[in-house]
Amino acid sequence: MSAESHDHHDDHHHVLPWWKKYLFSTDHKTIGIQYGLAAGAFLLFGFFLMIVMRWSIAYPHEPLPGYLSWIFTDGWKARWLDDGKVTGDTYNMFGAMHGTIMVFLGVVPLGFAAFGNYVTPLQIGAPDMAFPKLNMASFWVYLAGGLIMCMSFFMESGAAKSGWTNYSPLAGVADRQIVNQLLAGQTQWLIGLVLLITSSLLGSVNFVTTIIQLRAKGLTWMRLPFFVWAMLVTGFLLLLAFPPLEAAGIMQLMDRMAGSSFFMPSGLFSKSDGVLDLSGSGSPLLYQHLFWFLGHPEVYVLLLPAIACVAEIIPANTRKPLWGYKPMVWAVVILGFLSFIVWAHHMYLTGMGPVISTFFQTTTVLISVPSVILLTSMIISLWGGSIRFTMPMIWAAAFLPMFGIGGLTGLPLAFNLADLHLHDTYYVIGHFHYVVAPGILFGLFAGVYHWYPKMTGRFMDNTLGHLHFWPSLVAMNFLFFPMLTQGMAGFHRRWYNGGEGYIEKDPEGINIFGQTVAENIHLNEVMTTAAFALALFQLPFLINMVVSYFWGKKVTSDNPWDATTLEWATPTPPGHGNFVTDPSVYRGPYEYSRPDHDKDYFPQWEEPKRSTEQESDSPAELAPVADDVESQSGEGEAH
Amino acid sequence: MEIPFVVNARKDTGLFNSKVGIWLFLASEVTLFGGLFSGYLFLRLFADFPWPERTLPVLPGLINTFVLIGSSVTVVFAWAALKMREWRKFQIHMSITLACAALFMVLKGIEYNAKFHHQAVRLSGGSPVEDFAVIEGHVHKVKLEGDHLVHADKNDQEAFYANQLIFKAESVTFALKRPAHEAYLQMILDQAPEGVEITLADDYKVGGEVILEKGEPLSVEMMDQLEAAYLDAISKDTKIRTAFEKASWKWIRDEKGVTEQGTYVVEMDLWKERRKEDVKNYSPLMLRAPAEAEFAISAPFNLRLDPDDVPPGLRGDSQMTLRDDTVIKGQLLESPIVMAVDAIDFRHTAMRAEKEGIDPMKAIESSWVLTHQPKGHGVEHSENTLKKAWECHQAWLSFETERLEKKGRKPTDQDKYRINWDQMIAYQQLDFDPQKVRSASDDGTLYETHLFDLSGFAGANHDKHHFPEVEIPREKVGFESTFTPKWNTYYAIYFTITGLHGLHVIGGAIVLGYYLFFGRKMYESNPEWLANRVEVGGLFWHFVDLVWIFLFPILYLM
Amino acid sequence: MAGSIEEVKKAKKLYLFIGTLLFVFTVITVLVATVEWLDFGDHGFDGIDATIGLAIATFKASLVMLIFMHLNHEKGLIYFFYGLAIFMAAACMILIGWTKADPIRDGNWERADGFYNLEKPATKPEH
Repeated sequence: MSAESHDHHDDHHHVLPWWKKYLFSTDHKTIGIQYGLAAGAFLLFGFFLMIVMRWSIAYPHEPLPGYLSWIFTDGWKARWLDDGKVTGDTYNMFGAMHGTIMVFLGVVPLGFAAFGNYVTPLQIGAPDMAFPKLNMASFWVYLAGGLIMCMSFFMESGAAKSGWTNYSPLAGVADRQIVNQLLAGQTQWLIGLVLLITSSLLGSVNFVTTIIQLRAKGLTWMRLPFFVWAMLVTGFLLLLAFPPLEAAGIMQLMDRMAGSSFFMPSGLFSKSDGVLDLSGSGSPLLYQHLFWFLGHPEVYVLLLPAIACVAEIIPANTRKPLWGYKPMVWAVVILGFLSFIVWAHHMYLTGMGPVISTFFQTTTVLISVPSVILLTSMIISLWGGSIRFTMPMIWAAAFLPMFGIGGLTGLPLAFNLADLHLHDTYYVIGHFHYVVAPGILFGLFAGVYHWYPKMTGRFMDNTLGHLHFWPSLVAMNFLFFPMLTQGMAGFHRRWYNGGEGYIEKDPEGINIFGQTVAENIHLNEVMTTAAFALALFQLPFLINMVVSYFWGKKVTSDNPWDATTLEWATPTPPGHGNFVTDPSVYRGPYEYSRPDHDKDYFPQWEEPKRSTEQESDSPAELAPVADDVESQSGEGEAH
Repeated sequence: MEIPFVVNARKDTGLFNSKVGIWLFLASEVTLFGGLFSGYLFLRLFADFPWPERTLPVLPGLINTFVLIGSSVTVVFAWAALKMREWRKFQIHMSITLACAALFMVLKGIEYNAKFHHQAVRLSGGSPVEDFAVIEGHVHKVKLEGDHLVHADKNDQEAFYANQLIFKAESVTFALKRPAHEAYLQMILDQAPEGVEITLADDYKVGGEVILEKGEPLSVEMMDQLEAAYLDAISKDTKIRTAFEKASWKWIRDEKGVTEQGTYVVEMDLWKERRKEDVKNYSPLMLRAPAEAEFAISAPFNLRLDPDDVPPGLRGDSQMTLRDDTVIKGQLLESPIVMAVDAIDFRHTAMRAEKEGIDPMKAIESSWVLTHQPKGHGVEHSENTLKKAWECHQAWLSFETERLEKKGRKPTDQDKYRINWDQMIAYQQLDFDPQKVRSASDDGTLYETHLFDLSGFAGANHDKHHFPEVEIPREKVGFESTFTPKWNTYYAIYFTITGLHGLHVIGGAIVLGYYLFFGRKMYESNPEWLANRVEVGGLFWHFVDLVWIFLFPILYLM
Repeated sequence: MAGSIEEVKKAKKLYLFIGTLLFVFTVITVLVATVEWLDFGDHGFDGIDATIGLAIATFKASLVMLIFMHLNHEKGLIYFFYGLAIFMAAACMILIGWTKADPIRDGNWERADGFYNLEKPATKPEH
């Protein structure tokens, strides 16, 4: 944003050098795509780690097959694999990094940063984000953080290995033998985390400012598409929930680098070092509190962008307004607020005490109310619609039941008595993977198929899309449903050999748990096979992304889905600065199938016919007057 | 393309973009410091050691508070000057603000520096409860004369701080599984006196082939060579064994055909059978590279090891294991901590005694601090000065208790169990004579408040005062550290919060400095925009001040 | 906020006054902590001293926020941001503190210094 007096109007025709256009761009759309590609790469890497882990679970005594192990060097294999088999340490490392990568480097950047960056300014009719340079900085800090975390795989210590939650004192003790702590995977995880938090702070300040300040004329709060509302709430979640984790990260960094004892209790003993040379009196519980203060809002940071994508796609494909737009807006605001005071339901087994557990149990059950409002509204939105089963709609439709399973399996975990049994079992894994994988990822896939025409000017291929969708849907369920079964049978989530050590071999034996394990252990192979299938059937998607970019069917208009929100008013793909003329908004976001209108959709930006003579003055003042929708529906928007 | 509302406010919100941005940023800062203050609260309320109350010298903190408040006033004046388009005044006020920031950081540096050089030792052993007495002071510089430590001049080349482990090294063994830490290797090479040779004790053979011959002198390059040879050998071995494993599993799968329920156990049995055979077959093929390399030392020499490099659990009388798994064999010499004591603290001992239901005074009396007989090489006198200091303290305490009783009050634990550095100076000036202390207390001439005594600006001044000396044997040292985050959770949170706050000060100063030094151009083209920027920068600056307003009482006065 | 030159001029006096007030209260907070006859409650540091110290700090902080940071005539939106942040920070602090001071947490009856000083329950049931 230079104050120089060069002509701003011909920016569209400026020829920028390629590295400014594609690499160090300040354009929100380019940054969004950069985020998307980087997050996609991280997701694939995280997926690969998971496949190796699943191999170890199903076939703990069998060396990794060549197609999984070719990526490692001989030296790496000698150090981290036991004759080609995954060891417990390596499994821990992969597990920790799988979680970290999927949550912090994959899904959050894909949902919030990629889709948010690309779509939000378009939907509010803004030329760009409020602080374009901060936006660019945000991406590069994110990438640096991510690479630092992943680079540690190649160091002597290996990558972080104390779970994605990085609980102290385990995380404080891990890699203690490394003399230069800057070169320990566990430390680099923390440094990476601090960078990621910095990045998301820059991002969220930018998002909230943009949404508050840069809305187009006439785009009042209750005319915002639900997507923008979700992004606003997500922005606030990131803004306020991440800093306490940053505090915890800094404290843990001090524990590692400066020898302090923030999270190290007195008299800590390690097998290799004896009583550790620490002052003690720290509190592991404090770390868990600070971590989950972020951790739970983080769940909604993952979820809201996916719900937001689905909420955009459903009205466009059912050709009717989103059912209960206002309740959904309020639900998402309340959801965001409540998500800050439910965190300790992750910690029922820490010995916090029953009174505080009851408090958190109550708030946790409360938060299911807004979640159910969101899901129910979207399901009811389908009712009576003439549904067009386009590619994005198929994904969105699958999102609803899949997320439903994910959400409902969470209820038993909210109650602390039930959680005593289920805590740290595969049931928990099954629950949150149902939320994240077939839930959130399906929502985001829907978003990719939905906005791809706007980004590239070409549709994604339908055949490849179906080849991607149906096998993925089946594989996801074969992958995650057995986890719920195993979890209820007591399978612990961190067994690297799938529970082999617990099997009771004698069928008449009295070891009941061993019998249960023996009964359910074959499910490991089912799940592993499903995971391989899932990996295989992501190939059509990757091919589709590339092939459609060059040879896909071209869009014939700027609004190929006949949708109503502002992003479809831009040229395809939108140039730098987005809109050719400053857009004005005249009505709510989902005006489909209005009986008084000749087409079955009425875009937000289309001028009402009878207001033309007043337009020259000020559209902002004019807009509410011209809007006859609200008076018709009787909802009476506040002016 | 132009982004709207950069300079002028948007009508319905009444704000320009960067103002919304900075307030959002400050909101996140509130939760950042909220998280840190939660940490402080939690650690303090539930500490299992006596929390150091009012332990920092107040004066530096007080001056820093004044400095920051002053800079808050000038930064808002600088903004006002810009609003009134007075460039010169803006420059003056902004310069003062930056000067304040610099002064703040300098004072902070002085405080930090004093703590980095201030040593604390928590004792261990003893009865009836574990001796948790704390001795604070400055570590002396010493040097080695033969096997003994002697006092050394500060500027002596060979001098080192007397908290090191002195170990007579006879041989050293490097683990090859993990690369040896180069700094350690270098330390050993550097400390070896002229003429002492460190050579490979045996041929290093991989699969019958000699990689390095016996008698090769130790060097960084040769260690690299050994490590590379070892890694190469185990890679090859692993490859062979993996191939055998894979073949076995192929056989099992072919043998078993389609898996069915219960096959898992059967497969395992088959695999175990098969494995025995595999081991027989691949054993002769293995290269068997030794996982460690031993080096002989031609004449044992005294190695100084930093205690941080040798975890306490891995220290032995005849063997030391460094953090990179390097094993040094030899003999541990007496490695006492020699220091000038400026404070003694029995609060931890008392706290633990009370928990065990023992009279605190009894536990204190049996502490090593009061029972030991001074001896030795480093320390000149043979009288237990610390015991005399404690007797002086009792004399003062009896006076203080009587004085407070008249007001219906009681001495605090700190009064009872801690000899602070200003008290230590006072007792020392009265020759550690309890009678003199008592009478000086009665006269009210024992010591004045040191709030405005600049010689004790950041703590005890060891240049000006002479403090009693003590030589603490290594086996009595339970835990030792300078006053860094390692010493206890109070100093950990103190350094973390003030350090983070200091980073904020530096960051804010950089931004404000940018406006001062590079703002002229913008002032001429768009002064209102610059005023907006300064206002936003100022908001951040006020926030930094605001955090300090809480930090000062919490860390210095409570 | 103060936009016109007149208002800014007037405000400068206020800024000086507030600055002086902050200096004065800093001195007061130090005196309360160090001078014996101003030491309320028990001898030495205790809860009353903590309350006084934090009250003065809060007062000073509000002065900075209201006058220097212009919150006294700022838009509602900003209050919303700040309120939200303070609420969250407070929730973080209070709930974390509460966790450890759970009144019926195991062993909590035995701590004399805990928030709750419940009587120890009878070790054997009556019936």
